[in-house]
Amino acid sequence: MTDVVAICPACAQPVALGDSYCESCGQQLISDEVAALAVQARADASGTPVRALTCLDCGGTVLDDGFCSVCGKRALSARDHWQETPADWVGGVCDKGIVHARNEDAMALFALEDRSLAVLVVCDGVTSAPDSDRAALAAVLAACAALTATSPSPSPAVASIVSHWSAAITQSCLDANAAAVGIARSLGNPTEPPSCTFVAAVVQHDVVTVGWCGDSRAYWLPDDGEPRQLMRDHSLGAELIEGGMAPAQAELDPTFHTITRWLGADSVDSTPELASTQLQSSGWLLVCSDGLWNYASSPAAIQLIVRSQVAAGSCSPVALAEALVRWANAQGGHDNITAALARYEPSLR
Amino acid sequence: MAEFKAEVFQNEYLADGATDAHAVVSVTCIGAGKTGSNGEAAEIIIVDTSGSMDMPPTKIAAARRAARVAVGEIVDGTWFAVVSGHSVAQMVYPAHAGMAKMTDVTRAEALTAVERLRSGGATAIGSWILAATELFSQVTVAQRHAILLTDGKIEGEPAGALTTALAAARGRFQCDCRGIGEDWVVDELREISTALMGTVDIVAKPEDLEADFESMMQAAMSRGVADARLRIWTPQGSEVLFVRQVAPTVEDLTATGEQTAPLVREFPTGAWSDESRDYHIAVRVPVAGIGNERLAARVELVVNDEVQARSLVKAVWTADTDLTTRIDPAVAHYTGQAKLADTIQKGLAAKAAGDDRTATVLLGEAAKLAHDSGNENTTRLLEKVVDVVDADTGTVRLKRDVVKSDEMALDTRSTKTTRIRREP
Repeated sequence: MTDVVAICPACAQPVALGDSYCESCGQQLISDEVAALAVQARADASGTPVRALTCLDCGGTVLDDGFCSVCGKRALSARDHWQETPADWVGGVCDKGIVHARNEDAMALFALEDRSLAVLVVCDGVTSAPDSDRAALAAVLAACAALTATSPSPSPAVASIVSHWSAAITQSCLDANAAAVGIARSLGNPTEPPSCTFVAAVVQHDVVTVGWCGDSRAYWLPDDGEPRQLMRDHSLGAELIEGGMAPAQAELDPTFHTITRWLGADSVDSTPELASTQLQSSGWLLVCSDGLWNYASSPAAIQLIVRSQVAAGSCSPVALAEALVRWANAQGGHDNITAALARYEPSLR
Repeated sequence: MAEFKAEVFQNEYLADGATDAHAVVSVTCIGAGKTGSNGEAAEIIIVDTSGSMDMPPTKIAAARRAARVAVGEIVDGTWFAVVSGHSVAQMVYPAHAGMAKMTDVTRAEALTAVERLRSGGATAIGSWILAATELFSQVTVAQRHAILLTDGKIEGEPAGALTTALAAARGRFQCDCRGIGEDWVVDELREISTALMGTVDIVAKPEDLEADFESMMQAAMSRGVADARLRIWTPQGSEVLFVRQVAPTVEDLTATGEQTAPLVREFPTGAWSDESRDYHIAVRVPVAGIGNERLAARVELVVNDEVQARSLVKAVWTADTDLTTRIDPAVAHYTGQAKLADTIQKGLAAKAAGDDRTATVLLGEAAKLAHDSGNENTTRLLEKVVDVVDADTGTVRLKRDVVKSDEMALDTRSTKTTRIRREP
């Protein structure tokens, strides 16, 4: 089951269902409508998620068009913030952030309780193209459906697992692209079609296979040892760095975030690039959007943040994801934030 | 059954701290049907028969012919009356102070009665409006429309009589006004057409009157939707800066709004045929932080208290200046068209007051606005009043010998706007 929590209207920090006051800032909450938000955003891929019935700002009634009948504020929807916990060892949070008006990130997770398989898919809608929030949601759902319909690799050999999931991820990415194109078609093929990035990570036993288009990332963050980014961005920024520019300097370039591969009707190439790794020790697999990694882009930096959040008590994947989202919002929340995590423990295999 | 649709054009993005949301809402009606066929409409034709209508006598003769044509266009079953206006309002048809139902018999009687129209007396338009209001009050139909023809300025009644009469008539019927010749006053007829949601125009040549009356009455008979209102909800703490019809003509509706519920105001729009009208709405809303979205207005077209169409005007605060600095093309276009109408009227007023310098500046500005927005009709009308030296810079010279009716045509038609070309 997927749990959904709301975010505080005053400080944008997560609040639990049934809370009367925000733990972070003391804002009084209206519990009924927090409860009304307990809807799975994933349940509705049509782009019209269920909304709170009462305005979190002023208590006014929210009308069918999603706006408060008194103050006019757009009602918080399940699309703005949700979390998923498909199994104890896998969890994620997808959040609107602070500055953006809509959550154009999307996430779909799947995992087996026996720790033999996990699927983590994140897509980040391109803000400059309208309705990318819908394309991103459609894309993650299509990819996750394709991957969960795929049986695990029958051969336990690492090479077999990698080639098995490489093929499956490539197909799931094509499916995700078709779903994003379908959104454009349903909107009458706009000149600026909705589009999104794509990253999918499949964990089968100790083998991680990753496929991606764009700049949503996957990191391997071991408890001990060298953290690694498992892929390279498809972006002008990555090209600058490959051309020899220091990452810190490249990140200041205005073209840094311009992606060179994406999904959608105007996509030139929607075949994912692929990578894989075999895990040796315990640690975290993190799949995230740039709303998170913008504030800690190097593997060492993000590992530092993860470690400090774990040390502060966020031990489960979903608690850690919430903590990472909370931390990114505290840095300004300039973009939508998605953090999806799988916990790997060799001893529990 | 009539169907309405509403479409909104706006840039919803506001910079941090910005408060004003502007939008153009385009409302289109299809399937309005015809009016009057089942006794649902009432029409009154008011013809000026003051002494001046005989100078020259072609005017009263043209008025008779025009009234005949208008009577001929009224659909069977419609309540109607013909009134002769001079120092007082006098019934032409029916003979008693009431309205008749249109049949073959009453039409023939009315046509005969119209032949007897003779001129004499003063111009007291306020008393004619009062008489029409009284006649309309005798029928219960939803749709009430009048045509008023005059050739002169008000002289036969105290100043203010018209304004008083209009206050009583407002909302009771719609009135299209026509001025024949050059001796009537544009502002007087515009006061009537604005208050009573009708049109105003000049008919410079008596021989054109017949065709004008025919098309005016045909238009009235095609308004199958009796009375529609624009219902606008705005959030608590907001202020409606203005509500303006901007196409096909500019009419400021702001003052006509009536509060019908907390946060809700309704603006009468009168009767509708198969047509499209654009409204420019500006709302000042309480600020919300970056990343917030607020509904600035919920705009609904309402008939008999039932919502027929709805559009949402939004405000989304963002730090992205690429988004906030864009001006919606429709909003920009109609802001220019409203300014064009206002500038022409002020320019002509300055010219009438003998302030040629101000008039030259304002009419030059108008020439530029008309040119830039592709409003060719207004450009043509302006060119009869000024010599355009350079439309790009708005440089003009006042013409020496302007035909007065050309100036009046520019004045009355200054509010006609061009529509913005839209993406298909």
